Amino acid sequence: MTKWGMVIDLDKCTGCQACTTACAMENNTLPGENWQDVLYYSEGSYPTAKLTWLPRPCMQCENPSCVAVCPTKATYKDMDAGGIVFVDWNKCIGCKYCMIACPYGVRFYADEKPVVEPDVRDVFPGTGQLHAPPYQGPDSDSVRGIGIQPKGVVSKCTFCYHKVSKAPEGVADLDEDNPETKEYTPACVRTCPPKARYFGDLDNPESEVNRLIADQRGVRLKDHTGNRPQVYYLGSGADVPAYQSPKKS
Amino acid sequence: MNKGNILQGPMGLGLMVVSAIVALAAFGYAFMDLSSVGHRSFNTTSQIPWGQPIATYLYFALASSGLGMIAALSLVFGFKQFLPIAKRAIFLSFVILIAGMAVLAMELGYVFRMLWVIPLNMQIQSAMFWMGVFYVADLIFLLWKFQKMEGQEWDSKTSKQIGIASFLAVLLASGNLALIFGMMSMRPFWFDGLMPIYFYLTAVASGLAAVVFFTYFAYGFNRAAMPERTRAMFEGPMPKLFAAVLGGTVLFIAVRAVTGVYTNNPEISVVWREFLFASPVYQASLWLGIVAPFVIMMIAGLRSNPSMQVLVSIAVFAGLFAERYFFVVGGQVVPLFRGTWEWGLIQYTPSMTEWALTIMGSAMLFALYAAGERFLNLSDMPAEPAPEGATAAA
Repeated sequence: MTKWGMVIDLDKCTGCQACTTACAMENNTLPGENWQDVLYYSEGSYPTAKLTWLPRPCMQCENPSCVAVCPTKATYKDMDAGGIVFVDWNKCIGCKYCMIACPYGVRFYADEKPVVEPDVRDVFPGTGQLHAPPYQGPDSDSVRGIGIQPKGVVSKCTFCYHKVSKAPEGVADLDEDNPETKEYTPACVRTCPPKARYFGDLDNPESEVNRLIADQRGVRLKDHTGNRPQVYYLGSGADVPAYQSPKKS
Repeated sequence: MNKGNILQGPMGLGLMVVSAIVALAAFGYAFMDLSSVGHRSFNTTSQIPWGQPIATYLYFALASSGLGMIAALSLVFGFKQFLPIAKRAIFLSFVILIAGMAVLAMELGYVFRMLWVIPLNMQIQSAMFWMGVFYVADLIFLLWKFQKMEGQEWDSKTSKQIGIASFLAVLLASGNLALIFGMMSMRPFWFDGLMPIYFYLTAVASGLAAVVFFTYFAYGFNRAAMPERTRAMFEGPMPKLFAAVLGGTVLFIAVRAVTGVYTNNPEISVVWREFLFASPVYQASLWLGIVAPFVIMMIAGLRSNPSMQVLVSIAVFAGLFAERYFFVVGGQVVPLFRGTWEWGLIQYTPSMTEWALTIMGSAMLFALYAAGERFLNLSDMPAEPAPEGATAAA
């Protein structure tokens, strides 16, 4: 069975935030929702100061703590969808317990209702073309938390399931350089300028992601929490330093 | 028996009406904000998803459990000296839980949806699922027990069985509520297997504060107006129990603080040093709201003084509310990743809407309590304490 996984090579990542932008555009995320962002942190002081950064999508954990705590089964891990963790927007009650339980801080609750709220579709009727507003995402699926997030529910990265799910069956890797899989590659992977991201099937021994994890000793963040992410990091900088009070640094 | 109860007269009516107006006004304000700008009217964020409304709910829910445990002293464990406050404690336990649930309901994204998605999906792995189950059971048993008391069934077999069931529901509900926080290994400030014990202790402390304050309130803060057995309870066993429970609370906070400050884990030590102890509000709530009341209650000459008892109950009320607030927020102020656009601790102060919900819950409690004093005889107790051994005979 397919188990989608991502590898992020921190030696290649330049922290340019193209992934952040691509994700926001692809998934129509609201202000305050960063399904994919890049965190910057510094360690040490002159002359040994180090500035590093960490791109961070949802880890789509193998043993996700967010799923266990959800009182309504709104958040669930879909093994048939390659082990992606989804939020069913029809079941979520907005208790935000999953956000408390996620060790990675990759769940979002953006509930802002403008005092005056014109219907954007009336203001910009559009022409039906994707480049003409409004672009809502052609594959809205509230059961999987895909589309524009409604009010009162939690949202998260879906590994661009609306693209990934259309990939040819049994494919080992989804690569933007391969014309056959380009369109099915998650937006953050496809857009990454230095090609620091790889996406493929962790259950397929032939996949590039498996080779990278094995050859370059891929690590998972906060593995001690038992969540076992399906996102692996390569390179120096994958050892995220522990929190330290700025007063002490 | 209740001639001294000022809340059965115009004073009670006035309190009920004024509190109801305040509760409605606060609800209206919060509702208007939520309807017009959404949850943006809260100062919570995706980094601090749980703010003061959750702390308020936690405070009310645990005070309710504490009151249930205090009622169990006489109704389950046979400490007859505490019978004079049993009915009031059961009633207060019920209404404070209703008030807490009302605040929680306003915090949720979809409150009515949970009525069907929780039972239809049966996510038994979730502590929050069990919180719903146990607190609903708690509410039902409290109501049932109160109905038995209304029917003067103090000592019947059914009444005792319901009392025991109610006590168990209280233990399960508050213990499970503790696990919602205590099981979060990714939030080290909360992660603690002894969290249920801490919650039980502090629940009883806040329950005692509530029952002492509201009983005095009913008699116009005049102990001479109380029935004889109630008076005797406030002169002897009640302040001693209060002292013991506050002592346990001080001890528990001290142990958590000492291990917290000296641990190498920054997600715990930073919270204690730079969020809790660095806050004048926390310092005031700890020293004036918990330690000082404990000292007062330990001094024999002071603990039976009615004014001191009322003062201590108010101080503990405020002190424990602050404890709950700093506990809930403290578990979230350290960024999960230091680089989450936050170099220091994540900042949070409750918004006006969040304060409105706290006020709404508090005013609801006062309104419902005043209605209880006025329409239900909360000072009621069995005519004579049952002699030792009578229980077994029954």
